[in-house]
Amino acid sequence: MHVVADSFSTQINLLTPLISGIANGAAYGLLGLGLVLLYKSNRIFNFAQGEFATVAAIVAYVFDRGTGWVPKVPYFLAILIGIVAAVLIAVATERLVIRPLFHRPRVVLVVATVGVALFLIGVEGLLPYPQTASLRTISDALNVQSYVGRVDGVVVLDQDVAKLIALAVLALGAFLFFRYTATGTAILAVSQDTTAARVVGISVERISMTTWAIAGLLGGVAGVLLAVPPAGSVTPGSITGLTLTVAFSAAVLGGMTSLPGAFVGGLLIGVIEAFANADNGFVPGLNSLPTAQAEVAVAVVLLVILLVRPRGLLGQEA
Amino acid sequence: MTTQTQLLRFDPQAARRRASVTGWLVRAVFLLPVLALVLWVPHHSDDWTNDAVFAAIYAMVGLSMNVLVGYTGQISLGQQAFLGLGALTAANVVHTGYNAPDPFTFALGMVAAVGVAAGAALLLGAIALRIRGLYLALVTLVFGSVTADAVFTISSLNGHDAGVSAYRPTAFQSDYGYYLFALAMVAVCVYVDVCVRRSKVGRGLIALRDNELVASAFGINVLGYKLLGFVLSGAMAGLAGGVFAFWSQEFSDKDFTAAAGFNKALIFVVMVVVGGLGNRTGVIAAAAFFALVDPLLAGLAHHTGWLSFYTDHKQYISNLIGAGLLLQTVIFNPGGLGQVLRPFTRWFAGHPLSFHDEHGDAAAAALAGGSNVRA
Amino acid sequence: MSVLEVRNLTIRFGGLTAIDDLSLRVDEWEIVGLMGPNGAGKTTAFNCITGFYKAGAGHVYYRGDDVTALPPHRKAALGIGRTFQNVGMVKSETVLENLLTAQHTKTGYGPLRALVGAGAVRRREKELAAHADVILELLGLTQFRDRPLGSLSYGTLKLLELGCALASDPDLLLLDEPSSGMGPEEAHELGDRLLALRHELGLTMLLIEHHVPLVAAVCDYVYVLNFGRLLAEGAPDDVRNHPEVVAAYLGGEAPEALAVTEEEAS
Repeated sequence: MHVVADSFSTQINLLTPLISGIANGAAYGLLGLGLVLLYKSNRIFNFAQGEFATVAAIVAYVFDRGTGWVPKVPYFLAILIGIVAAVLIAVATERLVIRPLFHRPRVVLVVATVGVALFLIGVEGLLPYPQTASLRTISDALNVQSYVGRVDGVVVLDQDVAKLIALAVLALGAFLFFRYTATGTAILAVSQDTTAARVVGISVERISMTTWAIAGLLGGVAGVLLAVPPAGSVTPGSITGLTLTVAFSAAVLGGMTSLPGAFVGGLLIGVIEAFANADNGFVPGLNSLPTAQAEVAVAVVLLVILLVRPRGLLGQEA
Repeated sequence: MTTQTQLLRFDPQAARRRASVTGWLVRAVFLLPVLALVLWVPHHSDDWTNDAVFAAIYAMVGLSMNVLVGYTGQISLGQQAFLGLGALTAANVVHTGYNAPDPFTFALGMVAAVGVAAGAALLLGAIALRIRGLYLALVTLVFGSVTADAVFTISSLNGHDAGVSAYRPTAFQSDYGYYLFALAMVAVCVYVDVCVRRSKVGRGLIALRDNELVASAFGINVLGYKLLGFVLSGAMAGLAGGVFAFWSQEFSDKDFTAAAGFNKALIFVVMVVVGGLGNRTGVIAAAAFFALVDPLLAGLAHHTGWLSFYTDHKQYISNLIGAGLLLQTVIFNPGGLGQVLRPFTRWFAGHPLSFHDEHGDAAAAALAGGSNVRA
Repeated sequence: MSVLEVRNLTIRFGGLTAIDDLSLRVDEWEIVGLMGPNGAGKTTAFNCITGFYKAGAGHVYYRGDDVTALPPHRKAALGIGRTFQNVGMVKSETVLENLLTAQHTKTGYGPLRALVGAGAVRRREKELAAHADVILELLGLTQFRDRPLGSLSYGTLKLLELGCALASDPDLLLLDEPSSGMGPEEAHELGDRLLALRHELGLTMLLIEHHVPLVAAVCDYVYVLNFGRLLAEGAPDDVRNHPEVVAAYLGGEAPEALAVTEEEAS
């Protein structure tokens, strides 16, 4: 994140991490959305969500580069293929793993998603392509000058704008989808009572597949966003390590049933992370916290919140 | 009650009949290969001995997971924290520069390892009283990573980032000698587990896992026993950590990073599920398998010429194996390895060999009935 | 002194008053019935008496001691046994193990000794198992000793649940619809069995029941609840013809309801 510092303005040094934090938080927010979606509909925590994202990133990267027998395709097409790959993996997971276990206790399903995550990490690692997926920036891909916007004198990269736009669109879309579409309502119905839903004519199987496809979509977009600078790169398993922190804050903030909670949770994590890593020499007193202590502090705060309100700040049910 | 139709002429005496003297002799004969495998094979080379110690450590962690997840029905994705705390404590207590510690200090170190880990588990347990299911899982996860990032990185505890040496006492200097020590520690854990299972402690834990209301109606102090479950689990994992410290002869925070720890946490869960929740033998077997899968495959790769491919990708290969076994167990065989082995373990215990498994689905029932272990 | 006394018990859940100023008493060796339409608050009262719910107001006395605030496991240790509406046992274990678990408060050893595996523990375990066998025989369930619960019929499970309640040698038994799922013959047998248990073991019982003939045969005294409030109390016959009780069950105004029953009786 480039900083054009006006050394007399403290405002700049707070804005820089804030903006990059929100930009990254956008990706985290998408992961959180996917998690909450599946939690609302299947009542499980999908440990494999992070790997849906990774799959998208790696596939997009490979198609963008054109390695081996994979043809090199235009940038945006590569990204699209990556996202489609994530959707396919999600649907496959639903068909092969979730469906047979549909009526088992939820714990069993969660454990199964752990298995899926491990499996995907293994497969990703064994592919004959470089382990680290790092997509080019949009400006590189389009061969245009990096678009520079200025907010109070701080440079905002086109990357960040793209991330924010993606998040806003998807979040709004999710909200509208659940509120106003028949499928969205159906998903919520199925999540509450599959038998009753069937009785009113909802095809539980179709809905289940759709839900997972959407989760795959959300994960896929998140993965692509995370593979682009400044987040930098994605390796097998890296996002899964990430997702869980996101999930935790989503859970704490929203209770796992709140889409806005997931949204906010992800953004918050992005911002906290950016601040923790920021070098704030210009602002007296606000030095960057040593990572370990920052992490403990955040964890303690989250824990206290959960202890006081075991259903999260905004959530209604555990 | 005569209203009960008695289609099966169940003979209660038969179930309780123990083997005759000849029966026991036969069983002893079949026990020999197992003993050979455990005692004699690791003598083959230093590498094999070291791998066997690693398997023993995993076995103890598996047993600790079994107590927490199998009996008490709680979730733990941070067990590696107890392992690390045990190692850290043992190394620091025993740290004697370049000399081998005397037996007393060594014993003190091990006891301290158990104590500290149990204490940390008590803390986690206290939190678990209030937070359930999915949120608890995430709390244990964060517990694991915070411990790795904040406790193991404390300079004064980890030898200023260079590692704290932990030499073995003279009695266990040799690799094989240390292996026997490790085996003894596994035996201790198994003994405690047997005591737990055969007493009100085990029954209390299982009852509260199944249904807390009924458990308290039976007079079980649910809060107290939940904490006890955590403490026992932490203690066993701490013991494993102590054994680990002297096996690698140092504590280094590089061994216990958050990322590596998270990976381990997943493996531990896989281990206890594949082994069969609540089944001691299955869990030990599965744990040993996961500990040995790397050296076994490496050996295989070496002989078939795939060694460099294997070394580059071994983490992913073991992930695939673990994932495959996990999914297979969860979908097709919920009782896990334990259920598969059950006819044999019951036979060894003196019962007649029977593949008609009436109690067999206890693990499956656990997976089907545990009202607390719900997201 | 009564075995169980409840005074002015009130429980509220949010805006709903589930139990309103309930008072009842169970004396030594009595079998007392607690009746009322569904939703009257009978199980709620049980849950409060046994400590699962916290009372908003009022007291519960066990043999004169105020036990209102005691947690459920402590009450169980005092000698209050209880059964549940849906069978309340450890479903993943066998019959024998359930009976052993039910004796949790009477094992005579603590968890620490159990961990060490003292010989005393093993001896006590054998004694507990023997006691479990006695109970199985008492109820005619010996053949199910090592069976997992999943394979048993509902009637057997209910009986076993009674066995678990008896396993800890309780003083006072709280039974929540022990005859549910039973036909008339079985219910009759149950009635005989309860009377026999009272006689042989010196038990005092409080029953939630819907089965009128059973209540009539077995109960010395009956309390009727409706909407959380005590509607009527007395001997079974008196209560049975009480106009308000009839109205509560049949849902009409008292005089009409009474007219209906009089018609049916003639």
